[in-house]
Amino acid sequence: MSPSPPQPRGLFSGRDRSIKIFLAVTVVPLVLYMAFWTLFPLIWGFALAFFEYSPRRAGGPILGLGGANPYVGLAHFQAMLNFSSDAPKHVRQFHTALKVTIIFAMLVVPLNLSITLPLAVLIESIHQRLKPLFRTTFFLPVLAPAVGVAIMWGFIFHPQRGLLNAILGKLAGHLVAINWLGDPKLTVFGIPVALFAVIVAYIWQDMGYNLVIFIAALQSIPPNLKEAARIDGANAWQMFWKITIPLLMPTILLASVLTMISAFQVFDIIQVMTDGGPRGQTQVLLLHIYNYAFRYQKMGWAAAVALVFFVLVLVISIIQSRFLRTQWEY
Amino acid sequence: MTATVHPQARRGFRFRYAYLLLIPLALIDLIPFVWMILGAFKTGAEIRHIPPTFFPHTFTLDNFRTVLNDPQLPLALFYRNSAIIAFANVAQVLFTSSLFGYIFAKYQFRGSRVLFWFILGTMIIPSQITMIPGYLILARLGLINNLLGLIIPSAIDAFGIFLFRQFAYSIPNELIDAARVDGASEFQIYWKIVLPQLKPALATLGLLTFMFNWNAYLWPLIVLTEQRVRTLPIILTWYSTRMGNKYNLTMAAAVLVVMPVLIAFAAVQRWIVEGITLTGMKG
Repeated sequence: MSPSPPQPRGLFSGRDRSIKIFLAVTVVPLVLYMAFWTLFPLIWGFALAFFEYSPRRAGGPILGLGGANPYVGLAHFQAMLNFSSDAPKHVRQFHTALKVTIIFAMLVVPLNLSITLPLAVLIESIHQRLKPLFRTTFFLPVLAPAVGVAIMWGFIFHPQRGLLNAILGKLAGHLVAINWLGDPKLTVFGIPVALFAVIVAYIWQDMGYNLVIFIAALQSIPPNLKEAARIDGANAWQMFWKITIPLLMPTILLASVLTMISAFQVFDIIQVMTDGGPRGQTQVLLLHIYNYAFRYQKMGWAAAVALVFFVLVLVISIIQSRFLRTQWEY
Repeated sequence: MTATVHPQARRGFRFRYAYLLLIPLALIDLIPFVWMILGAFKTGAEIRHIPPTFFPHTFTLDNFRTVLNDPQLPLALFYRNSAIIAFANVAQVLFTSSLFGYIFAKYQFRGSRVLFWFILGTMIIPSQITMIPGYLILARLGLINNLLGLIIPSAIDAFGIFLFRQFAYSIPNELIDAARVDGASEFQIYWKIVLPQLKPALATLGLLTFMFNWNAYLWPLIVLTEQRVRTLPIILTWYSTRMGNKYNLTMAAAVLVVMPVLIAFAAVQRWIVEGITLTGMKG
């Protein structure tokens, strides 16, 4: 038997030292890692936007900036504001990309929500045992690589071998050879048909996310509320609009924020299905950035567009989160 | 009142016609998969036929033989590349997320709040913003066309740290202090006491991380330009471009690349769904 138990005080001051060592060997590498792989690229990317930079040129001593990769100040951003018809090609392409991205997101969000919310209600209304079967069916595309999704849908939209034209041909009684993804003259309400086609593929894959979010939210609605409405003689339609929608409002807003932010970042499906075509009609911002940075090696311009893209996404999330907060207190 | 409410009725209102809508919708939803799989079993002549057939007239396995025997398409190698990247990232992300999530939940140190909020703040930065400088860093480190180029920059997952911090909060301090009194080192406490408590979160984050890495396209497209290091999504587009109008071969390749892992993901989707509903996280 030891003569006297160690003083807790003493024990923990020894502890303090080992805690300090533990934190030092874990947190210091974390800080260094974050500084090198997060902060440093952010600063570099920001700096690049003020240069005419190509990795093929040697340039100045610090990160290859300067020298053959000259500092151009705000020239890239000033160029973006040149809306005249004789603006340089990359500026006109940027304007197109900005427009296409906004239209894409503005179509995707309402379409996605107006499919996923009723679908979630339908799935929640059926027998407990069959719910997982239907949820899995609609969730499955989320699990597939976007590239695979793009290839599958490309095969459906194919002008000669595609399923869609085959079905339309059956209905029309003659061969249909609509070039869904490749004909720049096809538009509906001024919006290119190719853009609708990639939106279909995109939503098909993306809707599983919102579906499971809505199903979880629906399950959290107290059953006695629905019960009370039912006893009061409310029908399914009234229940949906008067009970489900108001109670789910925070979730609906959250889902719309997330859907919009990820819609702005669309790349895979469009790059594979159309590569921005026809004639830039599906050229979204990320594709524009990728092309200029890695195909044309104009990284200064691409970094400037990336900066604008970042600010855009940030502003949208801030506006929507403000909106979100006020709505949360209903 | 003695009337009992039937438990079925308690669960809420049922749409009588829900199945009439859901069954056709589910079938329509599955059509892209079905069209891909059926295309993979058609002959070259049949796939060129206009108008196309729905079910294969002559059911053939030749497409799979051609794809699997294409010397330029060593699928096993690309499966291996994808698996190395995905497993390495799952391992390191689970380690760093659980360790730092626990540290931010249970330790106070100078600058801990600032550091945590900085990490959290990086979540709102779209990863594509750092892709140009990220590429330039990898180029200078000689990690282009190296699988490490897809592993080293992905060691920290801000979302993972945030997730594990939430989970680690619920671990009682008494448990940690008791281990200290018993003479466990701080790392042992993390490894033996904390980590087992975080199992559900480990499964959820592990699967989400695996899925995002396995399906990743843009970053591998930039970093991996040589055939030998490419991953499955890149190889699929490369192959479909090379095959042009041979859709039967492209679809066979797509089936081989997409379906095995899709089935595996579907089997464990409960955890993936949990992760998404928990956080509203998106890819």
